[in-house]
Amino acid sequence: MTLLFEIKELTGGYFDTNVVFDVSARIDHGTVLGIFGRNGAGKSTLAKLANGSLQPSGGQILLDERPIGRLPAHRRRELGIGFMPQDSMVFDNLSVRENLYIGSIGESPELFIDRFPLIARRLDQLAGTMSGGERKILSFVRSMIEDTRLVILDEPSEGVQSENIDLMACCVKERVASGAGIMIIEQNLRFLASIADHFLGLDAGRTIYSEASSKSSESEIRAILAL
Amino acid sequence: MSLALILNLAWHVGTLALVALGLAIIFGKLRIMNMAHGEFVMIGAYSPVITSSMGLPAWLQLPVCLLTVGLVALVVERAVVCRLYGRMFDSLLATWGISILLREAIELIFGRGYQSVSLPIPGTIQILGSGYPAYRIAIIACIALGFALLAWWNSRSMVATRIKAMVENPGLAQAVGIDTGRLSRWAFVFGCCTAGLAGLALAPTIRIEPMMGLDYLIKSFFALVVGGLGSLEGLGLGAGIIAGTQSLIGAAFNQTYGYLAVLSLSILFLWLKPDGIHSASR
Repeated sequence: MTLLFEIKELTGGYFDTNVVFDVSARIDHGTVLGIFGRNGAGKSTLAKLANGSLQPSGGQILLDERPIGRLPAHRRRELGIGFMPQDSMVFDNLSVRENLYIGSIGESPELFIDRFPLIARRLDQLAGTMSGGERKILSFVRSMIEDTRLVILDEPSEGVQSENIDLMACCVKERVASGAGIMIIEQNLRFLASIADHFLGLDAGRTIYSEASSKSSESEIRAILAL
Repeated sequence: MSLALILNLAWHVGTLALVALGLAIIFGKLRIMNMAHGEFVMIGAYSPVITSSMGLPAWLQLPVCLLTVGLVALVVERAVVCRLYGRMFDSLLATWGISILLREAIELIFGRGYQSVSLPIPGTIQILGSGYPAYRIAIIACIALGFALLAWWNSRSMVATRIKAMVENPGLAQAVGIDTGRLSRWAFVFGCCTAGLAGLALAPTIRIEPMMGLDYLIKSFFALVVGGLGSLEGLGLGAGIIAGTQSLIGAAFNQTYGYLAVLSLSILFLWLKPDGIHSASR
């Protein structure tokens, strides 16, 4: 498998306060990196550093082996890095349709939109009138239909019903089958275990676990989180 | 109500809406308290003076206006405003300084004295038996058409959607690929250019001088306070109420009472309804 995205000894956080320290990971084409950790472990900060919402204070971020660590988020999106944030994940004052099509879109977006009837039926509704779980799904679908090569998903299943989580897993597998890389942060370990090829565990901003999923089990990860 | 009074009302409401449009974009969307807004109206009003002093034909007034105001706005944005998005109080102080700088620059070039320009469309048009200046009729029609086009564009275009997205959630807007810096820059320049256009439209009907912008800045703020930020409907309502009150009370009594009524109305709104009549982000 060929390398798509890599972070090397990445350090960064908010203003002068570092939250993530010396974290390294790689994502190959057609693979999923699953990131887990307790609340405050630095998972979302790592996602924001990867997408360009935050700038690193040390280390490297590489896409196709080219450094992109100093590029702002919109430039990284142009290079093919999509992002679904954990909070404020949709534009409340725009319609569902406007939310979906605001970025540049890949081929056949209907394949993903039609899979979630609650999105497909409500294209003209304001996103701000949807429930928290529905907004999560809308943001997830938006990140799936964009013409990106790497998708960063920050807790997509939070507040989402189990049948829709299963649909999310199918969508992720389809994007991966088409060659995209996925970086996903999840508290739902069953969901994470069903899609991840490699796990990265964080605690206090540092790597505490990095292993291929074939060598990991859900119970092993639960034991690490209980430490 | 006589036809002349109705047309006068339409003139005052239309020109105020055009003046306030730029401020509505820059203050309402970009959160920049642009105290130099009136100076962009002033530069627009000076563009016929610039055109004639360069010996250019009158039809070049519009391109000269857009070019001059656009260039000044671009320099101001790149040099100062681009560092101040989301910092309302800082932007107020910085643009206040810029307004002084622009006034002094115009004074240096054209002097303190009044300038006047001739009407590009002379004469009157007879409507229902009464005559009304043809130039004002043409400007009212252009403003109405311009606002109709803007409302259509605002509801249809991807750029307008992206501006709404940027205003609501700049971080997510960047993540979906919107270059918020560039979008803000051109929204600022567009807002300043509409102020310049308002100045150009008003130029033949007013005395042009370096201090003229202040009055337009204040009335624009009043219109936004009353109408509310973030929507064309609010802008129209605000301009209608402010310009309407001033025109009607000014015509019934005198201009001082008209101004006093506008001031009292704005204070009342700030006190009782600080978001204005129609505040919306769409």
